Amino acid sequence: MSNRLNISFLGKKLNNPIMTASGCFGYGLEYKDYFNPNELGAAVLKGITMEPRNGNPGTRIAETPSGMLNSVGLENPGIEEFKKIIPSIKKELNIPLVANINGKILEEYIAIAKEVEQIEEIEMVELNISCPNVKDGGMAFGANPEMARLVTREVRKVLSKPMIVKLSPNVTNIVEIAKIVEEEGANGVALINTLLGMAVDIRKRKPILGNIMGGLSGPAVKPVALRMIYQVSQAVSIPVLGMGGISSTEDAIEFIMVGASAISLGTGMFANPTLPIEIKKGLEKYCIENNIDNISEIVGAAHPDGGAAYRSRLGGNNEIKG
Amino acid sequence: MFLEDVKVIENIQIADNYYLMRVEGTKIPQHSKPGQFFMLQCKDNSKVLRRPISLHNVDGNILEFYYEALGKGTKEFTRLSIGETINIQGPLGNGYDTDLKGKNIVVIGGGMGMAPIKYLIKDLKDNNDITFIGGGRNAGAVKIIEKFDFKNIQLKVATDDGSVGIKGNTVDILKKILKDENKNIDIIYTCGPHPMMEAVAKVAQENNIRCQISLEERMACGIKACVGCSILTKKGMKKVCYDGPVFESTDIVDVDVVDPNGGCK
Repeated sequence: MSNRLNISFLGKKLNNPIMTASGCFGYGLEYKDYFNPNELGAAVLKGITMEPRNGNPGTRIAETPSGMLNSVGLENPGIEEFKKIIPSIKKELNIPLVANINGKILEEYIAIAKEVEQIEEIEMVELNISCPNVKDGGMAFGANPEMARLVTREVRKVLSKPMIVKLSPNVTNIVEIAKIVEEEGANGVALINTLLGMAVDIRKRKPILGNIMGGLSGPAVKPVALRMIYQVSQAVSIPVLGMGGISSTEDAIEFIMVGASAISLGTGMFANPTLPIEIKKGLEKYCIENNIDNISEIVGAAHPDGGAAYRSRLGGNNEIKG
Repeated sequence: MFLEDVKVIENIQIADNYYLMRVEGTKIPQHSKPGQFFMLQCKDNSKVLRRPISLHNVDGNILEFYYEALGKGTKEFTRLSIGETINIQGPLGNGYDTDLKGKNIVVIGGGMGMAPIKYLIKDLKDNNDITFIGGGRNAGAVKIIEKFDFKNIQLKVATDDGSVGIKGNTVDILKKILKDENKNIDIIYTCGPHPMMEAVAKVAQENNIRCQISLEERMACGIKACVGCSILTKKGMKKVCYDGPVFESTDIVDVDVVDPNGGCK
């Protein structure tokens, strides 16, 4: 394999720009029967909170046209258990591990950031201010510009590791919030998290999900994700981790061309557990066929200026010349 | 783990919405257990999730799936013709504990819950004394029993409308066995509608009989990566796809509150 797919992302060297979406890849080893997780660029682990959470009541999953709804609600074993399992995960994964951190209140975000700061196996942090499935915290922070500012600022104070802020698409002006978190020290932004939606069981005459509403993901949300990444990447100077319905190499290239420096796979892996490997091979082939020395050359290629301004602002930060 | 396109060699309607599909692969896993399931992929890409389908039987390099065509995905499966391929992933989950010898066993299947029963009986029958109680709403719901291998086991059938077997349900038969037959039952295995399994589990607990039940939940990944199918058990949150679908009935928080919509309240 050449180094056409090598990138630098938030100062970390990644073998390729393919990552996993939090909540879709467990704690890193669940898919190892289907592909070697070390083939990924990095692994974003399932979201954690300070205390263990049981999540929302069932039913938690509903399929929708070209998509799915989930209302898992951040079920997780809590930070203490997370700290116990991370060393064994790191023994098998020699790619950067990204912790996705969550809180109900500001103080919980700060407390968990302090904990994760101490975990040496964690190289990057994804600050989740956009989960639509928790009553408190989550999207409440991501949908309010000043709350987004506050949580990013306060977490930044206690976290020296590279930090990606995962934004909610359930807002009127995503660009405003992206610029705010950049101002407050985010090293990157991840978008999009799921769109708030619902589905109804017409036989029972009630919502399918136990939590009534859930987060919509899958190919159905791809156009929204592309639009938001396109808008945000033209307004910020930090890398975008793009996600939202990627299920093929062509999808991945679209995301990169609208401005994503790296991509995350989620729902697409449920239908196709070997999707990361297919996309990795597909991107390599695409680069060869189009005389692209490094995949980062086409970040933002669909911008009006071909992405030159954005790539210049990134400062070649996500490119490693071969 | 097995993830492969396999060839459909039979796909027939048993009754109503009940279908039996047989597939053939080159490397079908031989290590599967009764109660495990496979995730079957839809060809229509607009269906982003695989469908978890219980393993009905394994015979050399042939797998059998007994399934109910209720939603768009499973209805798509009914249209698969002989020679077409389908991508399957599995075997997944934790099946029934069948490492038993010389035991008196009652197996209870209700309606679509008959799906794992054929393989279960096949695995148990050479070493144990088995009574199988099959039940359903009507004749169609129990028609699959005709395709089972019933040598050396006792068969009892009940239907709600009395069209086949006795008019009644499987729990009535279980209670009658316990009352009339002076037989010490070692274990009960069951799969079927939640109210039926709830009732079976209660009878088992009242009589101090070990009971394994197979739960059903909507799931996305099938391998505990998405945490979509979690339920609250006495041992904490468990994933139906990975820790189950077969559970000890006593591990479920309270069989009285088994949610008919799946999982536990």
